[in-house]
Amino acid sequence: MRGQGHWADLVPDETISRHDASRLLRRLWSMLGGYYGRIIAASVLLVLQVAALLAGPTLVKYGIDRGIGHHDPAALNGAAIAYLALAFVGLLLGRAVTLMIARIGEGFLRELRGTLFRHLMSLSMGFFEREQTGRLVARMTSDIDALQELTSQGLVLMVQNILLFVGAVVVIFVLSWQLAAAVLVIVPPLYFASRWFRRVSNVAYRDVRDRISTNMSTLQEGLEGIRVVQAYAREPQFTERFNGTNEAQYDANLLTVRLSARYFPAVEFTSVLGTAVILGFGGWLVHRDTITIGVVSAFVLYLNNLFEPIQQLSQFYNTVQSAGAALGKVFGLLDTHASVSERAGAFDLVERKLGVDVEHVSFAYGDGADLVLHDVSLQIAPGERLALVGPTGAGKSTLAKLLARFYDPIEGTVRVGGADLRDVTFASLRKVMCVVPQEGYLFAGTLRDNVRIGHIDATDADVEAAVRALGVWDHFSAFPLGLDTEVQEGGTRLSAGERQLVSLARAALADPGVLVLDEATSNLDPGTEHAVEQALERLMQGRTSVVVAHRLSTAARADRIAVIDAGGLAELGTHDELVAKQGRYAKLYEAWQTHHVEAVQP
Amino acid sequence: MAVTEPNGFLETDRARRRIGWRVMRDAIRPHRFWSWVGIGAGLGWAIARVAIPKLTGLAIDRGINSQHHELTRWVAILLTAGLFQALFTGIRRYAAFRLAYRVETDLRMRLVAHLQSLHFGFHDEAQTGQLMANANSDLQQINQVVLLIPLTIASTLTMLAVIVVLVASSPGLAFFALIALPLLQMSATRFSRLMFPIGTSLQNELARYSGVVEESITGIRVVKGFGAERRQVATIDRQADGIYDRSIAAANLRAWFLPLIDLLPTLGLVGILWYGGHQVLDGHLTIGEIVAANFYVLMLIWPLRMIGMLLGQVPRAVAAAARVHDVLVTDPVIVDRHGARPLADGPGELRFEGVRFAYGNGRDVLDGLDLVVRGGEAVALVGATASGKSTVARLLPRFYDVDNGRILIDGVDVRDLQLRDLRRAIGIVFEDTFLFTESVRDNIAFADPDASMEAVRRAARLAGAEEFVSSLPQGFDTLLGQHGYTLSGGQRQRIAIARAVLAEPKVLILDDATSSVDPTKEHEIRAALAEVMRDRTTLIIAHRPATIALADRVVLLDGGRIVADGTHDELLATNERYREVLARAEIAEAPDPDGGAGNGGAAMASTRDVGDGPVDGGGSR
Repeated sequence: MRGQGHWADLVPDETISRHDASRLLRRLWSMLGGYYGRIIAASVLLVLQVAALLAGPTLVKYGIDRGIGHHDPAALNGAAIAYLALAFVGLLLGRAVTLMIARIGEGFLRELRGTLFRHLMSLSMGFFEREQTGRLVARMTSDIDALQELTSQGLVLMVQNILLFVGAVVVIFVLSWQLAAAVLVIVPPLYFASRWFRRVSNVAYRDVRDRISTNMSTLQEGLEGIRVVQAYAREPQFTERFNGTNEAQYDANLLTVRLSARYFPAVEFTSVLGTAVILGFGGWLVHRDTITIGVVSAFVLYLNNLFEPIQQLSQFYNTVQSAGAALGKVFGLLDTHASVSERAGAFDLVERKLGVDVEHVSFAYGDGADLVLHDVSLQIAPGERLALVGPTGAGKSTLAKLLARFYDPIEGTVRVGGADLRDVTFASLRKVMCVVPQEGYLFAGTLRDNVRIGHIDATDADVEAAVRALGVWDHFSAFPLGLDTEVQEGGTRLSAGERQLVSLARAALADPGVLVLDEATSNLDPGTEHAVEQALERLMQGRTSVVVAHRLSTAARADRIAVIDAGGLAELGTHDELVAKQGRYAKLYEAWQTHHVEAVQP
Repeated sequence: MAVTEPNGFLETDRARRRIGWRVMRDAIRPHRFWSWVGIGAGLGWAIARVAIPKLTGLAIDRGINSQHHELTRWVAILLTAGLFQALFTGIRRYAAFRLAYRVETDLRMRLVAHLQSLHFGFHDEAQTGQLMANANSDLQQINQVVLLIPLTIASTLTMLAVIVVLVASSPGLAFFALIALPLLQMSATRFSRLMFPIGTSLQNELARYSGVVEESITGIRVVKGFGAERRQVATIDRQADGIYDRSIAAANLRAWFLPLIDLLPTLGLVGILWYGGHQVLDGHLTIGEIVAANFYVLMLIWPLRMIGMLLGQVPRAVAAAARVHDVLVTDPVIVDRHGARPLADGPGELRFEGVRFAYGNGRDVLDGLDLVVRGGEAVALVGATASGKSTVARLLPRFYDVDNGRILIDGVDVRDLQLRDLRRAIGIVFEDTFLFTESVRDNIAFADPDASMEAVRRAARLAGAEEFVSSLPQGFDTLLGQHGYTLSGGQRQRIAIARAVLAEPKVLILDDATSSVDPTKEHEIRAALAEVMRDRTTLIIAHRPATIALADRVVLLDGGRIVADGTHDELLATNERYREVLARAEIAEAPDPDGGAGNGGAAMASTRDVGDGPVDGGGSR
């Protein structure tokens, strides 16, 4: 995988070292600052809940020894009533703890989602061009989901189980240290079996996840490429290939089954062994009058409180591991700094209609990469319309990105109205200068919402006015619900031309003084083609405009044309000047014109 | 989701439930053996489990609480029972999980094999994500139930045995021990049912949230271009609030039910202590029996929760199975006719006779198309957007079948030919190139994986791809990333052309196959294409005059039929509509990856391609 940032590799695998874990935990703890009070309160309630759970068997012991042993029905009734009351107290405490922890955990995740997204939006264009969309989406979604698994239930159950285990050990030692010591003999084998199981099942489950993802991507590819597969009649081969990955997934699953088919019998046998120890050794102690029979009964019940936690804790290990890995990736993203950022003391641009000066600008994508632009200088007067033309990869779109400060030049300066772009605030720059990718990308929502992206505080009337000003009102009002028509994500229901109109309407609403336009390359149907051209013309009226032109007809209409070739400014002048000069532009134009004319007039 | 409503099933829901059950039953049937093993081992397990508390009670009463001094014997018996329990639990788990995974794997294979056989029309409508969900989460839902069935049967047996044993020893004690337990199962079921809609709405909320994340990143150029970060942040905050609310609703439900599920068995323990204690005082029961009863109550917690889980899971699995069934019963429309024959040798003459076609229930795209292409002839199809030219290309290999009229290859209706033969005889290059996540070589050798390296190189050379492929890090062994994103659009198209060339098709179809190739590069391919097309029937869909010039003859499509027929020069000279269509395509022409979408591939391509094409390199810029 190419072009991924260092942060994605922070945690290469879904296992984290102890050192990383403690670092992550410290940082997480510091992020939980606002919740300390509630965390302490929840912890106190949790301790009380566990105490209520642990008191039960002791009451059984009291009931048996006192009530039955001493023939005291009142004590028996008392023990039963106390047990009942404790059970209900436990219910209420359990409810309170679950709710409190959920509010803390979910609240934290809500904040984290917001923080992470704000940070993401503040990162520079270069970051987004480097990173794969899927990876970034994963940071915001599946990684946070992994944390959610921990916060929603995992953490509270884990703490509860630890408390239960420790509490049970303390209580049984108080009841009878001899019997407790004997019972604890079963803990080491259980612990080691659980650790073994955790280790091997970790590997096995990771293998399962890998194979599921291989299998699913094979399937996805098969579905997306179904037309090619069918066109070449390769269905049997694909089916065979999928059968391979599908069976591999089954085999991986079966391995986990084999492992658990070894582990769980061992656990169940250990449990019986524990009971046998309690009865055998406990019985011997009863005969020697060291303990009462009530103690033996209580031990039998406490055995559960020893077993459950050990087994459950080994399961939480996985949850904790993947949450830790996710947390590491999330922190990694938070630590990525914007390469283009607003410097302290940046000032606001006030004037709107400004000129743009490019002074000895050089640029490369990344350190050590080849220069894409080399010492380019260019002045654009306020209100002027400049077209950038040149072959694929010459650097004209890159120049446009520098004008908009999507990137900073590695050498030289870009000025708007005389001010270095690096000295002005982003907010004011975006009010003065808009970058319009003409291929209209649509967001989920209505047409109106989509146009409003140009100026998010605009009223409905503003939106309509902008659409009218652009002369495309008829186009939009022709939709079933006019501007309130919902457009799907990706804008599948709008044609390419209609999407371009949306994009231009955004710019009209933003009403910037300087416009940087990347002309669309997609084919349009004749109906909208004309509308797009007209709208574009109206939009550029009275604004400083820089157009990355893909059509020479657009270039020919500009005030001046800059020919960019191999990262440098090859020619600059008006259309007529450049044609007269008989240079590159002239050749380009000639070739285009002969074709054009040839096609239209034989 | 009406299916999950506890009462008031609609008739259709009932029908769908039956379908869902049938799907699961049919999937289990071939593996009955393992379900019987699971149930058998479950039975043994249940017996051992039920015996253990009884033995414990006896050990207390006879071993500890009496003067028999038989303690060692009882402990030995107890451990033996424990060994059996352990053995059986291993077997029953293995059998149950094995069965569940086997059923899931089989169903997935059936589903995918079936999807492969379904026609283009189905895939046009279906969303990949939905089909993936069928093959993944739906099958997992089914897996869960298949898994729980043998486990639950064992649990139910345990439960019945416990009830019998307890009632036999003391009906009163059994009453107090068990009275709260049905509530446990009911709570677990109710919890699962109530949780489901909340879980679904949480999932929806999460999906909407990730939709916003995705569009913010995909549309980052728009967001940053207009400084609209604030709007997206506000949207995310709203979605995060939605997720919070749903999660808290889920937690609220959990906070009622989970402590309740913990509480109910405790009520049984309290009942045993109180009632049993008094019974012991009165001499009707022994302490050992009380301890055994405690054991039984604890033992029933998991089986009851499991039954609750199963009951909650069943509606979901049944609905999932019905959805899988929906796909499985979709009949492939395009299949071999009875008695379909193999394609005989022939020149590859194509004949379209009165062909009418519409996608779904839409308007006619082709409206009585008549066209004859002689064997070995190259014909260019030219027409405005939506004139039906790509549709012609899709009907020939039977991606769709004509609504009316017929298409003949060497005089045989394509519907009378064996589909495999027909498709192997036609090499088609689509406009939107799909490459597989495999090496360049494997992509080119797609039609014939056993092709020699010479053949692959030759195909690459003819497609004008050899040069750039050789310059890739591992040459022909270079793995293409997901959808081949590391290559530019033009490079991908050239690989796709090589793929078609390697298939040595009798008929070649180039559907706008060079549209993304830089015009300055196209002439290199053009010479090679001419070579490929020699003596091969070829349909070219194109709008660049230079590409059209490769064809012997041009036909102009308009409104779903052919309106003009002749050479490029003839049509230019005589046909106003033809000139118009070409001129329009001309204006729209000019791809430029430098200005492309903001992903890594485009940025890298642009740096690599610096100085790639001379400004005066001809073409139509």
